[in-house]
Formats: sequence, C-alpha cells, structure tokens
Amino acid sequence: MQTKPSGFRSPWLQLALSVVCVLVSELLLKLGASATANPTSSWSWTGINSLVSPLVWWGILLVIASFLSWLYVLKYIPLTIAFPLSRVVDVLVPLSCWIFLGEAISMRRWCGIALVVVGLAVVAKPVARLEERL
Amino acid sequence: MNLLAFFFILTSLVTFVAGQLFLKRAMESTARADFARPRFISLLTAGIFAMTISFFLTLGLLQRFDLSYLYPFQGLSVIIISLSAAIVLREKLTMQLTIGALLISAGIVLVSLS
Repeated sequence: MQTKPSGFRSPWLQLALSVVCVLVSELLLKLGASATANPTSSWSWTGINSLVSPLVWWGILLVIASFLSWLYVLKYIPLTIAFPLSRVVDVLVPLSCWIFLGEAISMRRWCGIALVVVGLAVVAKPVARLEERL
Repeated sequence: MNLLAFFFILTSLVTFVAGQLFLKRAMESTARADFARPRFISLLTAGIFAMTISFFLTLGLLQRFDLSYLYPFQGLSVIIISLSAAIVLREKLTMQLTIGALLISAGIVLVSLS
C-alpha cells in the first residue's frame, strides 16, 4: 500500500463521504421512482421514465458525487477492503427506510443487519491495526 | 418475484461487479510509473458504461419493489467482488477479509429475504 494523504484527502474520509452520498441518493431515487412508477409501459423496465422526477435528478447528482469520492478511494485502498466497508450503507439504508420512508423492519431483517455489522467489524479490525503501524 | 425480475436483478449485479473491477484497474493505473492515458480512459469508460447499465436497471426495479427489499440484493456483490478482486486483480485476500465479506453478504441476503 502506498502512503495515504491525510485530512480531506484521506481516502478513509472520502470512503465515508461516498457512503453518505449513496445513502441519501438511494432514498431520493426511491421517492422519485415511486412517484413516477408506470409498470404498464414496456419501457418502464429501463427506468427511463423516472427521469421526469426532480428527486431522481438530485439522486443522480449525489450518485456522481459518491462516484468521484469512490474513484479516489480506489486509488489507495484495495477493493477487498474498500468494497466490504462501503457496504455499511446496507445497514444505513434499511434503517433510514424504517425511519424516513416508514418501511417495516422484520425480526429476520434486524438479524441480517446485525450480521452485516459483525462482518464490517471483522473487515475493519485488521485495517485499523494496519493504519496504526503506518 | 418472477423470472424476468430475477433476470434484471442478476444483470444489474453482474454489470455492477464488472464496472467496479474496470474502475479499480483504471484508478490503479494512475499510480503506476508506466501510466498510459489511452489505457486509463478506455478502462474508465468501460467501468462507467457497465455502471450506467446497472444504474438504469436498478431504477426500473425500484419502480416495482420496496427499496429495503430490493437494494440488499447488491449485498451478494460483496463476496463476489472480494473473490473477483483476488482472482482478477490479484489482491491479497486474507482469511479474515473473506470471513468479513461472507458475513456482510449473508447479513444483506438475510435482510433481503425478510
């Protein structure tokens, strides 16, 4: 691994920024896509008709922002570490759906969320040790 | 979930993984001494192209299913990406990272099944 910049240019901070952008964009895309849903159209599988929703465009903007941060992350952190860590979003998305969109979380889903958290800890632990040494 | 939905979910997954591998290759190449701009551009373009297909397929799926149900299918991408990064990109995949990736994938699948 090469030496990593610190501060705002720290790849770890950029990874976190990328995750936040993905989280907010997913919520906006869901709101926008639901508002414009037209399942009878055969073209609707492509999702193209969602583009009339401004929420979808805000979502796209955040997707681009998260993408740029992510590219920067890829420059410094191996995929085997960066990608699993980026899936903290899979805990944050259901939680946000529960809080903001009123979607239900079953017992099984809570168990899944707990498993992901344990997995994240397992991946993050050797990374933390590695960073300390640098 | 019908067969068509399964097909679109699978396609969005495969294009997503391929996109990540292309992008990683592209960004890695910027740090190398023998950096070649045409190679970087074509890798980046391939990555963005694959991710774009995946993105629009996901939008189409979002019109039909709850986000909290649909989104976690991408969880499978964790273990798939870790394995393919080890195989295709020759990244070091330790036992601990494999277990972590498996736990995350299993957790996300469990979320998507409920």
